[in-house]
Amino acid sequence: MPVEAKLSHTAAMILQAIHAGHIYGFSVMSMTGLPSGTVYPAMRRLERDGLILSKWEQQSIADAEQRPPRKYYRLTRTGRVTLEAVYKRYPLLAKMIPTPEEERV
Amino acid sequence: MKRLAAADLPMLVVRIAAFLIPRRERDDWVAEWAGELWAVQDSGTDQGALEFSLGAFRDAQLLRRDHVSRRVTAACAAGSMARCILGLGVLAFAGIAGCLWLPGARATVSPLPYRNAGDLVLITRYGDAGGQQPSIRLSDYREWTTNTAGLYSRLAYFAPETAQVHLAHHLSPHLRLAVASGDLLDTLQPADGMSAAGLRPASGARLVLSRSAWSRWYRSDPGIFGREVTVRGQTAVVAGVMPKSDWRLPVSVDAVLLEDPLGMNQLAPTLRGFVVARIRDSAFPPPRAGWRSMVETREDVVYRYGCLSLDSIFTEPLFTFGCCVLLALLVLPAITALSLGDYPLSREPLRRLLVVRRWLFLALKFALVLAIVNSWSTAIAFGLATHDLSAAAGLQALLSFVPLLFGFRWILQDQRRRCPVCLRRLSNPARVGQASCNFLSWCGIELICASGHGLLHIPEMPTSWFGTQRWLCLDSSWLCLFAEPPAPAETI
Repeated sequence: MPVEAKLSHTAAMILQAIHAGHIYGFSVMSMTGLPSGTVYPAMRRLERDGLILSKWEQQSIADAEQRPPRKYYRLTRTGRVTLEAVYKRYPLLAKMIPTPEEERV
Repeated sequence: MKRLAAADLPMLVVRIAAFLIPRRERDDWVAEWAGELWAVQDSGTDQGALEFSLGAFRDAQLLRRDHVSRRVTAACAAGSMARCILGLGVLAFAGIAGCLWLPGARATVSPLPYRNAGDLVLITRYGDAGGQQPSIRLSDYREWTTNTAGLYSRLAYFAPETAQVHLAHHLSPHLRLAVASGDLLDTLQPADGMSAAGLRPASGARLVLSRSAWSRWYRSDPGIFGREVTVRGQTAVVAGVMPKSDWRLPVSVDAVLLEDPLGMNQLAPTLRGFVVARIRDSAFPPPRAGWRSMVETREDVVYRYGCLSLDSIFTEPLFTFGCCVLLALLVLPAITALSLGDYPLSREPLRRLLVVRRWLFLALKFALVLAIVNSWSTAIAFGLATHDLSAAAGLQALLSFVPLLFGFRWILQDQRRRCPVCLRRLSNPARVGQASCNFLSWCGIELICASGHGLLHIPEMPTSWFGTQRWLCLDSSWLCLFAEPPAPAETI
């Protein structure tokens, strides 16, 4: 599937941010510095193309923290494969947004 | 209070942007933005939250565009309702365009070009059937001009004949003439101000050419008006040109020879032709259909004359078509079942809007098939095939009945094979069961909706427990099997 070769740098950054544990929109925005009008549409397209999956958090957790529930995103298997391929195109991506494991190293 | 209003403004912006989102996805979308907005407000200023919320418009706009794109793709899919309507619409449009383009057909579908056309009647001796043949003797017409003045305000006569006309030097074609009394055009009163009778010499005959004859023999030369030509051994002045649409009387002609009273007196009393009359307002009720008005007894013989409204002659094709529609509807049960199928296995009743849409679709198909058959049969019968109105009406009946019958059959069969939810043609027919095991289980054909709305079971052999086709509605858990594949070559 040629999808991985077509990812823009912005989409790759968002994919890497989610992979790095920034699993809801605002935290992706904070990490990447991209505006909301870019992040949310890009996340929807990534989800539409099967690279990420969204899931609502449990209402009880949100209630306990006295806030509205959030929608969380995670990479699918295709998304992980795509991200591996994207590293070849954007070699600094992993260093820009490191995962917690990479940070520990 | 000011603080509260400033905090609410970003959410208001999100709610306004939400109107761009399709209704089914709107609540989910607003909930996600509300959750995100809370995180923004929790971490920063209200001004940052407002800037953040403005991004909702872009998000909503792109979602809307995706939604529209999906809808267009679904509408253009093979077997979709839109494709069906579009196909039928194109056929209907082509037929109507043909009717308007072909002069004979256009004359049939357009109203009569005469002022107060409801008062015009064609008097014929043989009733309705004789409307196409010259049947009135000139001597009868001469009598009527004096003794029927109470009935008719005007009475004109014309007899069709083919004659050689000396138009110019070395130009003597044979033309189809209407040898007419001088007041024929005044009786008809064409609505466009009579482009034909421009010149009115004090005496002598006038020749009014049809537009096609004028363009053929004179190459549309406007200088020919007033020129003298020789017709039937007498001199006539070319008085004008008559558009083809202005001549809506039986038999088609290339020219009308308007005789003056002297010329009319020289015609043979036995000449047979047509009489066109304009009835007096007070004489009769409006003649909406053919009615017999005159009975004469001469030499112990009773002559009956039919007065046909010119309007009724030209609405006859529509009446013929109506009869064909009725006949086709009566014959329809003999070639297909009228039932549209039952849906007893639906887990939840179909929404009223979907039911209404389904019936509207059926009605639209009927309307388009009627328009297609009517326009094409009119175009072929009146525009291409013949100039004889009676023969053309018969041909139109033939050309209407069979297509109508099979058109109605197709409509019902097509409707039965469509998904009741998306109205798309069901696909992937699969044979299920064996006819030899009919007493143990059902056998027949199973069709599926490509959008995943359900399955249609059609029994091969109707039984007491499975007599008609059944619709099995699939719930939303099946939708993932029918999801559209993502577009592969797109930059995200």
